[in-house]
Order: sequence, then C-alpha cells, then structure tokens
Amino acid sequence: MKAIEIMGLKKTFTSNFMLKKYNVLKDINISVEKGEIYGFLGPNGAGKTTTIKCMLGLISFDSGESFICGKNSRSLEERKKIGFLPEHPYFYDYLTAKELLCFSGMLFSIPVKKVKNKAKDLLKLVGLEGKEDLKLKKFSKGMIQRLGFAQALINDPEIVILDEPFSGVDPIGRKELRDLIISLKNSGKTVFFSSHILQDMEMIVDTVGIILEGEIIKQGKLSDLISHSVQYYEVVFKDVDESLLKSNNIGFKLKDNNYITKLKDFEKLNYIIEFIIMNHGKIVSVIPIKMSLEDIFLKEIKG
Amino acid sequence: MKSKLFIFVVVSFILAGVFQYDYDSHINYFSEKNIFVTLPKGKTLEILSFGFKNFVADMIFIWSIQFYSNYSLMNRFEYVEDIYNIITDLNPEYKAPYYVGSWIMALELNDYKMAIRLLQKASKNLNNEWDFDFESGYYAFKYLKDYKLAEKYYRKAAGKPGAPSFVKRWQAHTVYMEDNLTYAFKMWLEIERGAKNKLEKNSALNHLYQIKFEIDKNNLEKKVELFNQRFKKRPYNLEALKRKGILYIIPKDFNGDDYIYDFKTGKIKAKKVFRWKKFS
Amino acid sequence: MKIRAIALNTFKEATRNKIYYLLIFFGVFFVLSSKLVTLLTLGDKVKVLKDLGLASINFFSVLIAIFTGIDLVYKEIEKKTIYNILSKPVSRSCFIIGKFFGLALTLFVALISMVIIFFLFMLLFSGEFDVRILVYFILLYFELLIITSISLLFSSFSTPILSSVFTISLYLIGHVIWTFNEFKDKIVNPIIKTISYILYYILPNLEKFNIKNSIVVNSDLDSSMILGSICYAIFYISALLILTILIFNKREFK
Repeated sequence: MKAIEIMGLKKTFTSNFMLKKYNVLKDINISVEKGEIYGFLGPNGAGKTTTIKCMLGLISFDSGESFICGKNSRSLEERKKIGFLPEHPYFYDYLTAKELLCFSGMLFSIPVKKVKNKAKDLLKLVGLEGKEDLKLKKFSKGMIQRLGFAQALINDPEIVILDEPFSGVDPIGRKELRDLIISLKNSGKTVFFSSHILQDMEMIVDTVGIILEGEIIKQGKLSDLISHSVQYYEVVFKDVDESLLKSNNIGFKLKDNNYITKLKDFEKLNYIIEFIIMNHGKIVSVIPIKMSLEDIFLKEIKG
Repeated sequence: MKSKLFIFVVVSFILAGVFQYDYDSHINYFSEKNIFVTLPKGKTLEILSFGFKNFVADMIFIWSIQFYSNYSLMNRFEYVEDIYNIITDLNPEYKAPYYVGSWIMALELNDYKMAIRLLQKASKNLNNEWDFDFESGYYAFKYLKDYKLAEKYYRKAAGKPGAPSFVKRWQAHTVYMEDNLTYAFKMWLEIERGAKNKLEKNSALNHLYQIKFEIDKNNLEKKVELFNQRFKKRPYNLEALKRKGILYIIPKDFNGDDYIYDFKTGKIKAKKVFRWKKFS
Repeated sequence: MKIRAIALNTFKEATRNKIYYLLIFFGVFFVLSSKLVTLLTLGDKVKVLKDLGLASINFFSVLIAIFTGIDLVYKEIEKKTIYNILSKPVSRSCFIIGKFFGLALTLFVALISMVIIFFLFMLLFSGEFDVRILVYFILLYFELLIITSISLLFSSFSTPILSSVFTISLYLIGHVIWTFNEFKDKIVNPIIKTISYILYYILPNLEKFNIKNSIVVNSDLDSSMILGSICYAIFYISALLILTILIFNKREFK
C-alpha cells in the first residue's frame, strides 16, 4: 500500500471578475512509498501548495483521486494520520508555544495530560526548550518554523507533509531541519515535502517529483534519476610528464601542480588510469561528476 | 521631550477650548428664527430610534427642560405641544414629561386647555394614575371655571385606584359649584359616611350643613314670596306658612336647629356661619 | 472536545484583544456617566439612570458582537491560521460551531461584567435591585447571539468591511421590521405580497428582545412571549449556523 497516492488530479481556478479559468493543476500523479522521503520540487507558482491543499481538503478539485494509505485523503479519519506544516506558517500570536501545541493536540482529541507531555518532548526535539511560556509574538521566523514543525508532529503522524519547510530558515536551521527530517524517516514515518530549493532536497530525499505548470514532468528515485546521468569523470593526478600527455592526445588543465582531466567515456577512464600508473604518476582523485538535481530540473524545463 | 509634548497637547486643547468659547459667544444656539427644521412624529422617531426609544425620549425631554427654561426666547412655546407629544408618544408610560409639559403649558404659557389635553393623554396612557385627572380637574376648576368639566375629571380621578379621599371632596365641591345642590348633598353624605378621620367627617358635616341650609333657604324664601303674593304681606314667622297650608313641614338645619327668619327682609339665615365661601 | 478547543481558543483570542476591553470600558463608562445626565432632568431620575445604563450596555455589547464576530473569522482566514485547524481532523462545521460558542462565551463575559457594574451602580444610587432587568439582559444575550451568527455568516464569505456593513444593516432592519407587520397585509399585488411575507419572516426580528423600554416603566412581563422570543432565537441561530456551514463547506482556502 502506498502512503500517498494521487491520480489524475485536476483543478481550475476561476477568477472573480472575468470568469476566466486558470488550469492550475493539469494532471497530477504522485505516489509515495511508505517510509520514504518524497521531495516535491517545482518553481514558485507551479502548483505545489495547491496540490497539498487539494490533498488535505482545503480546496476542492475538479477530477482525480487522492489517497492516503489507500483511503480517501479528504476524510477526517485519514487526517488523523497526517501532520502538516503550512507554507509560511502563522500561528495565533497571542498564544504561548505550549498553549499552541496543546490547542493543536486537542484538535486531534488527544487528552490534555498526554498532550502536555508530548508538547514538552516536541519542543525539546525542535530546539525550543525554555521557550514554552513565551508568547509567539516574540518568536522569530525561524522559531515559528520550528514550532510549526513541532505542532505537525503532535499527533505522532504516519505521514508528515511539509510545505516549503526550508523557506526563511538560516543555514544552521536548515541543517537541523534536514537532520530532523531524516530522523523522522528513521523512526518509520513518511515525509512528503515541497520545496523550490534543490540543494536541501538533493541531500535527503529518496524520491523526487518535479512539477511544472501544474504537471508532474518527472518522478522517480533520486538515485535512478541521477545515476543515469553521470555527465563525466573527473580525474585528478600529478607527477606525469606534460609532453607525454600531449603526445597521447590527453586534454588537461593545470591547477596547483595537479592535472585535471574530464572524461565522458567510461572505457577511456580505465585507459587513462592505467596510463597514469604506468608512467609513475599519482592519482589524486577520480570523481564521477553526476548531473545535479538542478541540472535535471533545468534540462526538463528547457526541454 | 515627552513632557514638553504633553504640555503642547494640553496647551493645544486649552486653545481649542478658547476658540470654542469664542464661537459660542457669537452664536445663539436657540435662535428665534427656525427653531425646528422639521418635527417628526413620535411614531417616526420610534422607528428611527432602532429600539432605543426610551433613550431618545429621555434625551428630548432633557433637552426640552433646558430649552423651555431659556427665557430669552420669546417664541419658544410655538411647538411645545408637539414636543411633548413626541416625547410621550415615544415613551407613553414616562410620567415626568406629562407633569413638566403641563406645568410649562399652564404656568408659563397659560394655555390650560393645552395642559389638560396633555394630562388627558397621560390619563389615557397611564390608566391607573389618578393625579393626571385630578390636575386636569384643578385647571378646569381654577382657571377655566368650567365646573362641569372639572367635575368630570374629578369623578374620573376619584374612580381610579389609590385616589386619596380629598379627590372625592373636590368633586363634591365642584358639584356644589355647579349649583346641583341635591346631588352635592348626596355626595357629601356619602363622604361623611365613608370618612376615616375626624377631619374628614367634620369637613363633610360642615358642607352638609351649608348645602342643606342653601337648599332650605331657597325653598323657604320661595314659599315666603308665594305667601307674600297671596296675602300681600310677608308671614310673621315660619309657622304662618304651615298654618296657611303653603308648607307642610318647617325644615330645620342639619344640626336640627331652627332657621332664623327675618320678617323685615323675608330672608332666611342659618344659626351657624362658616368662614369658607364659594371660590370666585 | 474539538469544538471546546476551538471555542476556548476563540475566547482567548477575543479577550487578548484590546478592543474588547475598550468596548466594555466604554459601556461601563456610559453607565456611570448617566448619573451626570440625571442632573439635567426633572422627575423620575432612576428611570433616566436605567434608560441610559441599559441603552449603553445594549449599544456596546452589540458593537462587541458585530466586530469580534467578523474580526475573528476573517483574521483566521486572512492570516491562514485556519490551515492549521482544517488540515487536522476537524470538520468545517466543527470549526464554525466552535467559533460560535467561543463568541458566545466572549459575549457572555463582556455582558456579565457590564451587568454586574450596572446592578452595583443601581444599588448604590437608587437602592433597588430590579430582577426583571435581569430578564432583559437574558433576552439581550439572545439578541447578541443572533447578531453574532449573522456576522459569522457574512464573514464566512465576505470581507470584514462588507460584513460589518451587512451585519449593521441587518441589525437596524431587525429593529424596524415590526413596522412592516401590518403593512405587508395591505399589499394587493400577490407576487409582491408573497415576497414581502417571505422577507418579513426571513429577516431577523430583533425588537422582540428589546424589552428595556417597557421594563423601565414597570409594565408587566409576559412570560410566554419571553419564552417564545427565546425559542425564536434558538431556531433562528440554528438556521443561520447551518447556512454558514453550508457556505463555509464550499469555501476554498487559496
């Protein structure tokens, strides 16, 4: 059974004035396996948030289906299994962190006493210890984001849906957030998060879906997507006679006494390595330069 | 810096107040011309008050008190009846405007009929209150000298719950003033029987004595005149009337004493004379 | 439990807003300042005290009902805090009902604090404690609940300014509609007559809760009419809440 399965989701918005229709979601098909981290990638305005809102029943959709653990994701029962962090979360600024978590917990019908303990643990988890009784008015953006993360976990969800969790978070915070997401995965939860920032995604996701103008244009395991596209191998070596290289028609660049060679062919790689060793050179490194998510992304957009 | 600004604020307010004072001294809010642009009916105002009709009535009433006590305005009474009608339409059970309105109408404007109209509206709206009718009766009695009308109001007042006993005495007195002596006598008899204290009883007895005297006096003097016509001379005493068959019984006064007959003038006098007399 | 959580949170939000206290303060202020106004009047001063006191409590509690009702729902949508609620296993009807009870609690606390001050004030200056005025406050509370549900209805699909205009208009209409009671029978045209009958019964009739005018001048209370008014309020509020839920269910949170 898939954790999340969305099939043929379509959505049009009608503008209020001219009754003009906008196809926001043209055909969304997403499937997320249990226990994986799914990255939902796309530029701003591609329909990431709309897809999530459709899934959670915040907006209606025209056609298609959306399942969570095989059941309609819009039913209240299924929502008990979901933890959700909205984009740019804003919480009641008159509440304290503890009060907000208790409120969130009560919406899941969790007994107050249990919620209080859970809230303590979660605040510790997201690094907001000692801020329990501080009004949210005084929270910074990053702190709000962490708190939002905590409230998404209050019900111990099977599936955590995060909408742009990295936006507005400083580099240290991002590192912590990435660690948090990985720890969620390690505790057996499925994480679905959207982002337009590739670097964050590349480091942690198992599966990636790329959305562009309301369509999923590519979906697959990150390892598959990337291994298929090793662009070239970069071989760094030293202590080889320059003239020998030239005579054997090997192109190179010189950098800090190291020679750098770029090779597209896998067969030629063996030949080069053998050549260097036979000529008493020293290999510093051999790196397969893979296509980054960014490159894939750009390629898809252009192509 | 802050305290300086604060002083600035205070000074500004004071200056604004000075200008307001200056403005007030140039303008007359209650000007003689165009006192009112329009006068809505009470019902209209009731609708426009959106459920705050008591509040609106209070406000107009309070305004009217200030307005009608402004003696510099000569034509201020032009719409007095309309104003009090509006207030009392808005709040028919509010007693004070009826009193104050009728006082203004009667005592300032001397329009007693208008005052009675307002008081009668009160009597209609506050059905269990006797004093509006009593006051109406008083104005009719004292200023209009319409004893029939006054008697009507006193009777109404006397019939209402809680009316004090003096209302009935006033009514009896107006009946007497109407020269309906037998009816007045009957009324005073009732009052005498129902009297609760000595004062009431004595008062009733005095009135009874006086009225009986007046009735008997009229009667006797007529008989004397008849005697005079028949025998061309006045009777020497009242016994003579009985002897000649003109009178069967010689009436006595209320205390059972004989009346005093003056042979020379033919007039009858009572033994007791009370100091009170008819209002004039 | 969910409804209670939303209601309590609504109450918290309302009571942590300064406007709420400001309006209560003004209500109390005008109750107290009625003492000054009685200096200008002749005759029954207690009547004027009661009139002004009841009028100011009425006025300011209605303001609280209109503005907190509109503000709290709109803010929730505008600031997207509603996402946190509706993405959890909370149905939209649950949200609306929770909001309603939260507002009801807010109004109750506001009203009761003004009422207590009013009664203390009356006790101090006139020495009387008129229990029948309490009946008026109960009816006023039901009127406030109707106003709140109207503002809830409008703010479920409209902007705050439009909602306030609509709600205030309906409040005013609600206090003059009794004048159409006889008027509607006199219409000859059957279509217009039908329309005016429908409108007459659909629009809120709030004047029936307004016994403050008669209570001050000591006329008798008709208990069956009071009970009828309360039943009217309960059914009217239920209808409005269901309508609000129906509209809110269709609403998209873009």
